[in-house]
Amino acid sequence: MRHLTDAWQWMRSMMRRPSRERGLDEELQFHIDQQTEKYVRAGLSPADARRQAMLRFGGIVRVQEETRDQIRPALLDDSIRDVRFGARILWRAPGFTIAALATLAIGIGATAAIFSVTRTVLLEPLPYREPGRVVGIWETTQDGVTQNVIAPANFAEWRERSRTLEHLGMVGPAGLAAIVGGEPERLKGLQCSFDVFQALGVHPVIGRTYTYEEDYGGKDGVIILGHEYWQARLGGRPDVIGTALATEGGPRTILGVMPAGFTVAGQKADFFIPFAQTVEQLRAYSGRGSSYAVARLRDGVSFDQAATEMRTIFSQLEHDVPERNARRKVLVIPIQEQMVGDVRPGLLALMGAVGLVLLVSCVNVASLLLARSAAREREFGMRTAFGARRVRLVRQLLTESLVLATAGGLAGLLVAALCHRGLLALVGDRIPVPRIEQLRLDLPIVLFTMAVALATGLLFGVVPALVTTKQPNDTLRDGGRHSGSRRLHQVLRTLVVSEVAISLVLLAGAGLLLRSLIKLQNVDPGFRAGGVLTAEVDLPTTSYDTAHAEVAFHAALTRIAALPGVVSTAGASCQLVPYACIGTSFWRVDRAKPGSGERPSCQVRPVTPGFFRTMGIAQIAGRDFSEVDTADSTPVIVVSEELVRQQFPGENPLGRRLRVGFNHVSGREDVEWTIVGVVGNVRSSLDGPVRQTVFVPRSQRPGTGMTLFVRTAQDPDLLTRSVLDVVHHMESQAPVETRTLDTVVGNTIAQPRALSILVAVFGVVGLALAAIGVYGVMSYSVRERTQEIGVRIALGATGQSVVHLIVGQALRLVFVGVALGLGAAMLLARSLESLLYGVEPLDPWTFAGTALLLLTIATAAAYIPARRGIRMAPVDALRVN
Amino acid sequence: MADRGDVLQGTLDMLVLKALQLEPMHGWGITERIEQWSESVLQLGQGTLYPALYRLERQGLIRSEWKVTENNRRARYYSLTREGRRHFSDELAQWQRMSRAVNLVLEASLKG
Repeated sequence: MRHLTDAWQWMRSMMRRPSRERGLDEELQFHIDQQTEKYVRAGLSPADARRQAMLRFGGIVRVQEETRDQIRPALLDDSIRDVRFGARILWRAPGFTIAALATLAIGIGATAAIFSVTRTVLLEPLPYREPGRVVGIWETTQDGVTQNVIAPANFAEWRERSRTLEHLGMVGPAGLAAIVGGEPERLKGLQCSFDVFQALGVHPVIGRTYTYEEDYGGKDGVIILGHEYWQARLGGRPDVIGTALATEGGPRTILGVMPAGFTVAGQKADFFIPFAQTVEQLRAYSGRGSSYAVARLRDGVSFDQAATEMRTIFSQLEHDVPERNARRKVLVIPIQEQMVGDVRPGLLALMGAVGLVLLVSCVNVASLLLARSAAREREFGMRTAFGARRVRLVRQLLTESLVLATAGGLAGLLVAALCHRGLLALVGDRIPVPRIEQLRLDLPIVLFTMAVALATGLLFGVVPALVTTKQPNDTLRDGGRHSGSRRLHQVLRTLVVSEVAISLVLLAGAGLLLRSLIKLQNVDPGFRAGGVLTAEVDLPTTSYDTAHAEVAFHAALTRIAALPGVVSTAGASCQLVPYACIGTSFWRVDRAKPGSGERPSCQVRPVTPGFFRTMGIAQIAGRDFSEVDTADSTPVIVVSEELVRQQFPGENPLGRRLRVGFNHVSGREDVEWTIVGVVGNVRSSLDGPVRQTVFVPRSQRPGTGMTLFVRTAQDPDLLTRSVLDVVHHMESQAPVETRTLDTVVGNTIAQPRALSILVAVFGVVGLALAAIGVYGVMSYSVRERTQEIGVRIALGATGQSVVHLIVGQALRLVFVGVALGLGAAMLLARSLESLLYGVEPLDPWTFAGTALLLLTIATAAAYIPARRGIRMAPVDALRVN
Repeated sequence: MADRGDVLQGTLDMLVLKALQLEPMHGWGITERIEQWSESVLQLGQGTLYPALYRLERQGLIRSEWKVTENNRRARYYSLTREGRRHFSDELAQWQRMSRAVNLVLEASLKG
């Protein structure tokens, strides 16, 4: 009944507010007038009477305010008051507020930053039509590579036979040297079948894509540009459509420009060109190119149906064409999965790490609030005694937490913006994180951040609020010093334990990743990367055949070798990492030719004489290539130790001959290659296996492109200018890309490095927060126990023993936290397994080291307040009460 | 401004209800009536009176209406509701029991 009346009154007051408040003014005025009249009757002058009446009344505004408080809905009003009160309280304790805000800003900001990356990379749908129905198609190899390039001949069959997929097209990398504005330039793009654009369902912003005839017709004369390239190099002019772009293979007609940000499964491209091969040419292709396929599920077909059909088709192909397909399989994969499969484990690990940082911040702020609210227990006790209900107090405390959290959230946005910059700088273009450049702080992220902040506020606010307001009457009774303290101490201890445990999990994860990174960095690649400048040069095929190119490169290498500071120089067809140059199969000539699928595979690297010396690759037996190895001389190879170990165990490989699946300079593939030397193993990726390698002289396997390797005793970057001069002197139209070999190698482990650095940063932040937490709680505890400490010292305890006592108590908590954290970390470490290299998830060194580090830091954090405690005692100790 | 004879916490409501028991009255009248009855010991601060009046009205113990006084001025008159009367008699009984008890204690200690 009472509630109904309340509600009715509330509604009436809401609706009649203005008249009611005007009524109040009139009512108060009436009161004052009556009082004035009374004084006049008593004999005062009217002016004095009025003054007395006003005085008696006491602050008309105050009366109005307090009366209005009775009119207005109490809930809303209280909340506003709580917010104001909370803000005032925070303002008055700047030390506490800054500590809490910084903690929250870090926790919330890091979470928002990583979440926005996750959203951009993993969660946002790809900008394709019905992106969920686009698939990528790959093959697997007999050595267990799960996403291997496909055989174009297989692709031709799939395209013809599949009933579940439509718009099957191939996608492969393509490089192109073009002359833009008279300057030679090397473009990076993609070869795409004409179907690819339809499979993705993306139309060009201007112009058109190429047709079936322009692709499968076999004539290669068209090009589509990427939006970014078109903007940057052609000024975004629409009139370039229909004009010819001069490229190495001849002029290409520009047909269209794709939309901004368009990628094929995350691969950025300056241009898109057709394969320009007829179906017959594809069928006749014997090996594997460098392409995979994309396609769209036909209407009404499920992903599983398509995958099943493709597997069936492939097993028929394996049966029909064993030399091409023996022991291989087909892999159909959703395009989104293909894009993010590599980065997902890392991103999820980062999400986990920031989640833990956020948790530590929550616990930290909770313990800060709690220790501080101990000082306010009397305030709450007092208010309860005057009739405030507990719900009301809890609400006020929660409001204060939310005020804090909101401020923390705003500061967190700032941190997130900074994190974005840092992340982008760290990732750069070294790590192929799809769509990272689309990273932004937009409304959903702001909303997410504020939601996290509010949730955080409730999380860290609710425990102190409940603890502080529990039975405050007892608090009042004994002066607010002891009864609350015990309960408070229990909760504080729990918070310390959980803080230590969480940060241990975080640190252990960071430790595992860092150890794994160190292992990776210490992998011996088989060559010395330091002090080498590399220059990737492409000679235009319009004016060079391979023989001319060899002559030009030889001349350039000779000139570079004569440059001051150059120790030695050599060339190779490819960079050493991260790809095998030519992947193929081989067999011993003196043994029976193994069946298809049974042949060992190797990587083939065409190099110039002096390559092993320049790269610091150990010559183990036989000789290096030299000027005597020419296009017409005996075909020779140098093989790696690993190849000898597997193919010639216990035998002398020198003089033996191999058949290797690639073309000799003469164009023949049935050449027998004689082994003239053995060198140390060279890795093409730091985290991959050591592969059997065949080196062949450039003269017997030439090309129009070469990577020059220049070893110097000085900083290799200093040579860039003079090397470029030499190359441009050789051919002014040749595009060149120069990088130090350290950069090239470093980029191959940029992703694990970025991940380890980020998680390590989060680990350090977590550790710092935990240390602050332990420090704060111990400071509070020492302050509370000043008297006890004083008495102990007065009774003859040494300062040393008291410090031991206090630190010992802190350490007991830390030990419990470490034990719990170790347990949790061991459970969680398994999830990091796919990110680790050469380190077991349960690596005892990492776990022991982490525990030790935490114990050390925590001891230090407890020691400082303990020292201060005994310095203060006993003089002030007895004064505390 | 300190009021002479601060009204005890919780008793103010009762005094207001008592003042209204006989007839509807405006705010100033209530202060006068209480001052008069208490032989000028209890002088209500307006800072307490009007919030109390609004609170009591919100609780449904009193109601208010605008009327014209003998001197032809508009004033808000408060009167008891049925629930207000019942509440007052309950409170009164409670108060009497309490004050008797307190008196007994105080007198006992005087004798002792």
